[in-house]
Amino acid sequence: MTPAAQALRGAVIAYQWTLRPLIGAQCRFHPSCSHYALEALQRHGALRGGWLATRRILRCNPWHPGGEDPVPPAAAPRAATPPAFQPVPKG
Amino acid sequence: MDQKRLLAAIALSIGILLIFDFLGRPAREAQRAQQAAQQQTMQQQAAQGQQAVPTPGPTGPLGAPSDAAPAAGAPRSPAARLPVEGPRVQGSLNLRGARLDDLVLKDYRETVDRNSPLVRLLAPREGAAPYYNQWGWTAADGRTPVPGNDTDWTAEGSRLAPGAPVTLRWDNGQGQVFEIALSLDENYMVTAEQRVRNAGAEPVQLLPWARIRREYTPPTQGFYILHEGFVGVLDGRLREETYSSAKSEAAKRNGVAFEQEGPGGWAGITDKYWLTALAPVDQSARFRATFRALPEAGQDRWQADFAPPAALTVAPGETGGGQAVRLFAGAKEVNLLDAYATRLGIPDFDKAVDFGWFYFLTKPFFHVLHFLGSILGNFGVAILVFTLILKALFFPLANKSYKSMAKMKVLGPKMTEIRERYKDDPAKAQAEMMALYRTEKVNPASGCLPILIQIPVFFALYKVLFVTIEMRHAPFFGWIHDLSAPDPTNLFNLFGLIPYDPAQLSHYLHMPAWALIMGATMYLQQRLNPQPPDPIQAKLFQWMPLIFTFMLAGMPAGLVIYWSWNNLLSIAQQWTIQRNTTASRPGTAAVPAAAVPAGAAKPKKG
Repeated sequence: MTPAAQALRGAVIAYQWTLRPLIGAQCRFHPSCSHYALEALQRHGALRGGWLATRRILRCNPWHPGGEDPVPPAAAPRAATPPAFQPVPKG
Repeated sequence: MDQKRLLAAIALSIGILLIFDFLGRPAREAQRAQQAAQQQTMQQQAAQGQQAVPTPGPTGPLGAPSDAAPAAGAPRSPAARLPVEGPRVQGSLNLRGARLDDLVLKDYRETVDRNSPLVRLLAPREGAAPYYNQWGWTAADGRTPVPGNDTDWTAEGSRLAPGAPVTLRWDNGQGQVFEIALSLDENYMVTAEQRVRNAGAEPVQLLPWARIRREYTPPTQGFYILHEGFVGVLDGRLREETYSSAKSEAAKRNGVAFEQEGPGGWAGITDKYWLTALAPVDQSARFRATFRALPEAGQDRWQADFAPPAALTVAPGETGGGQAVRLFAGAKEVNLLDAYATRLGIPDFDKAVDFGWFYFLTKPFFHVLHFLGSILGNFGVAILVFTLILKALFFPLANKSYKSMAKMKVLGPKMTEIRERYKDDPAKAQAEMMALYRTEKVNPASGCLPILIQIPVFFALYKVLFVTIEMRHAPFFGWIHDLSAPDPTNLFNLFGLIPYDPAQLSHYLHMPAWALIMGATMYLQQRLNPQPPDPIQAKLFQWMPLIFTFMLAGMPAGLVIYWSWNNLLSIAQQWTIQRNTTASRPGTAAVPAAAVPAGAAKPKKG
């Protein structure tokens, strides 16, 4: 990981340990936005990971249905769209 | 088992807090002792009729205004003083050295007590807290005698008051007459015009200057959201230097902590509520503003000064070699600073109040709070009302999810089933639940974006409350007589039943009622929040109310009240949301409640 990605991850971890317990987690997704950010930064680096995390946070609003939303895999070339979410076994 | 662990953890936390306090104490005591020692040396020097060593000399040929030591040993008559009488200030001008070194603010008192002394802003050099403004010249040609610290000026005029200007005059006996024309306005602004009449045969080269000098280091809040120390807007940029940063910078650069040459601007020294600042009258002319930290006789001296970028030449028979600089010395009332900014063209003068990064939020918030305070008659109530308005504005964001509540009822059986199936794996259960929400297009959480948007907003409010002078000595209900001071009650002496103040031992033994209320509301609020999935984070989450109770114990009461009220409003909001959620689940047996339409929560919408 680049120092930039490390620093951003540090900021997210700091958030998880200070502000998050203070204001309460209200995420509509799984994994939660902060965990998503940590994973995205680790997998995709500061720039793309940060971008993915920003988009995720923007999505995390009452007008989005939310739900399962994993970080897209790193190896996938740009063309390949990541699978949206796993179909859920019902019943 | 869990109980034991909890108790152990509480004991440990308190222990850590006490240890920190204990470790901090020797440093504080050493500082106090050092200050006392310094004062003693100063007194001794004064007794010997000998002032401290002069400041390190000018940095360059046109450099710093330097402190000429008065003639040693010579018995001196007491300096003549000229009264300063404004509607909002009173004091006197020291005619020896042309110093404004005695000024109290008539509208502000030291404490809440109506009989307490008025706030003293400027004080003479001989006292314990020297803080003054001075006008003078440096001889750039190295031969023209210029007025110094021990120059006795003659005054034309009997007092300085609005509409009653005064001109100070001093003849150097070599053909040059120095003049300082002073005027005072209705508030806190003194305007000084310096000039030299050259009746000699040769041209003279002089550098006029005006300086604010503080010869002691005031106790600061030392809190990162409040700036105290040097402040100014120079060349369009806000410049701030704390005392410690100025000291380390100045150590590297011969006493100069910061220097900026450019058109106009303003610069000075700020306290939490008070400001002394210099601002050239002609804001388009170029000036050099400097912040200095000068150690002198083991004591730090702080100085902010304005001077032209280069020395001025006054030809024989002409008048010149001067500058016109205003001096603001008073309370940082935002509306007054704004008025000066518009009327006198002092750029961004309101930034003397530390509105911070969120200026675009904090400034409007201040105006709303000020307005509410003036119509409601109580600043505390204004805080409560304003917080309510903010919460109401954000309520639709939280409320949006209610619309799906009716659907949640249908999902109830599936949800209980998931919970049953993954009883031992909460993470997995959560993932399944999320998937269910997504497929069924419902979700009880409001999301991260609304929360992230709210953080700067509520931080901005917190910041305004911390820095604004409106809160100073503003009463609230009950035992709160000053919203800007910590709540005086203390749990550890049973709220006054025991006639002993344990806070003397350690300030962690001060646990006021409002901090307890804050802790309780925070605890309740957290009970309503979903727990973080990580077990260690979940533990921290449980500790948060206790940590914050201690952290906020010594904070201004207004802030603690704001926190408590904010928590209460959050609880009310969360409770309405949660009631709808639980009511819609079968098995909670709250069938009649479930019959309440989801829209019932709507009327509360802001």
